[in-house]
Amino acid sequence: MNKRLRSPEAFKKQLWHHLQTAGAVIITLVMLFPLYWMIITSLKTDAEIITTIPTFWPKNPNFQSYVFAWTHMDFPRLTFNTFYVTLWQMFIQLTSGILAAYGFARGNFPGKNALFLLVLSAMMIPAQVVFIPIYVLIAKLGWVDTMAGIVLPGVVSANMVFLLRNNFKSVDQSYLDAGKMDGLGILGTIWHVLIPMCKASVITTALVSFINGWNNYFWPKILSKSDSTRLMAVGIAKMKNMWEEMSTEGFYNSIMAGVVISIIPVVLIFAFNQKYMLKGYSKNAMK
Amino acid sequence: MKALKKQSAASAATASGSPVRRKKYKKENFLEFLCVLPAVFLVILLNHYPLVELVRYSFTDWNMLKKTYKYVGLKNWTWFFSTLETNHVWNAFKVTFIYTVLHLAIIIVVGLLLALLFNRMTKSFSFMRSVVFMPHYIAMSSVAVIFVWLFNESYGVFNYLLKVVGLDPVAWLSSSSMAIFSLVIVASWRGIGYNMLIYLSAMQGISKDYYEAAALDGANKFQVFRDVTLPLLSPTTAFLLVTQFISSMKVYNLVDIMTSGGPARSTEVMVYLLYKMTFEDYRIDRASVVSILFFIFMVIITALTMKWQDRKVNYDA
Repeated sequence: MNKRLRSPEAFKKQLWHHLQTAGAVIITLVMLFPLYWMIITSLKTDAEIITTIPTFWPKNPNFQSYVFAWTHMDFPRLTFNTFYVTLWQMFIQLTSGILAAYGFARGNFPGKNALFLLVLSAMMIPAQVVFIPIYVLIAKLGWVDTMAGIVLPGVVSANMVFLLRNNFKSVDQSYLDAGKMDGLGILGTIWHVLIPMCKASVITTALVSFINGWNNYFWPKILSKSDSTRLMAVGIAKMKNMWEEMSTEGFYNSIMAGVVISIIPVVLIFAFNQKYMLKGYSKNAMK
Repeated sequence: MKALKKQSAASAATASGSPVRRKKYKKENFLEFLCVLPAVFLVILLNHYPLVELVRYSFTDWNMLKKTYKYVGLKNWTWFFSTLETNHVWNAFKVTFIYTVLHLAIIIVVGLLLALLFNRMTKSFSFMRSVVFMPHYIAMSSVAVIFVWLFNESYGVFNYLLKVVGLDPVAWLSSSSMAIFSLVIVASWRGIGYNMLIYLSAMQGISKDYYEAAALDGANKFQVFRDVTLPLLSPTTAFLLVTQFISSMKVYNLVDIMTSGGPARSTEVMVYLLYKMTFEDYRIDRASVVSILFFIFMVIITALTMKWQDRKVNYDA
């Protein structure tokens, strides 16, 4: 349409278009603000964070607080412990989950449906309801305040079994038959046929499992009692408590630096895989 | 669930096949059973078995400090009901429920509005959607630590901004009437992008025919939203209600880091109370009773929502 001959209708439409853009930009900035504040606080000096008029950009941005967090807040150990627990949980979840997904999607053994319903029903039992008996179990094993104890509550995910089972089910039988003709056993079929064909969803579930493990606070908080088994989330919360108890109010910049360090892996995963993950999320919601 | 049952029943029917085939696959079937075994064992060990144990504990006098315990019948259950006014459980339940209702209302309503606002399929909008969604990935505990500083009453930026526009400072976390709202704000900031995204992808799934028909009838934008979009989104709304109801009833991290249940128990939610009963008072027996009732409540609400979903919800989309 010629711009000069624009009707009031078209004008109104364009106005709406601009309003929508403006609204979206404002909301995005508002949502971004806490993260922006986290980053600039971590770049400020001890003195600058306790001025009555907060500065919206650090006067002289520096990484002092990161150095402090890394050397004085036990961050190397926290990072190692968190990776250790998260990767073990992810590994066991994936191995048991993929095997079970194969059995439930492709298997034919008596009691299959009953067992599958049993696994599904576990999704209705939140850890926050049954944490007492699990804690008692771990205590009986003598695993309180050990890495094994912290790993144990997160070694299986009924949700993952369910999602992978649906994906494995959607693979056409002819591929499996072809694999069988080539002499593939169960493990070979899973490794050479099912996982490559469901690559996107296997990667997505693995990453979601990593993020859930990384972000977990409840179990590490309950099960870790000493410095040597502490994970990052609990460590940061503990620093925050120390800050609250101390009268010097100066070191929240280092706590923020700790938070920034702790969310880097998660944000990286999000940045590189968001396309897959967003798709995965909405697809699962539709089921 | 129903669809699922049907599906698995159907697969069982097709897979059983002729007797000859079944014989041939016997060994393989056993191997398939072995495949599901580890996951099933772990799931039972970490979900069903503890639930049974919980019921057993509720009939004992175990307090975690001593090694032995004896069965005391209904003592813990009568304790719960006879001290309902003083045992803080009712308070924790109310706090949790208020938190959940406020949180759900915000993330569902605003999530839907944001979905409408961000519904434009361009690169820049896609980027902005990612930004709005990103907090969903950040741990609740990290989010809590960030907001403790934003809410700080002396140096926090929120109170500074209020001052700039000429408003009084707010006691975000130290006022017993305000603290619960502050928690809701934090949780909503983190959760809203997820709801937006789910609504958006549901809206993309609505057939254009509906909108064309509505346009032919001369409906305006608001009418289209009310009479076409909203009803067709009801399965999505039901899905979000069920899943997010349960996850916000379980709130713990936020409370533990931001308020420790205070001030004056105004943010003492169920899981925080359970944690305190277990690891501060060592009353496993009583905490078990509360856990079981909390669980039953969540199951009932889920079942009711699903029933409502079956009856009311429109599946035409």
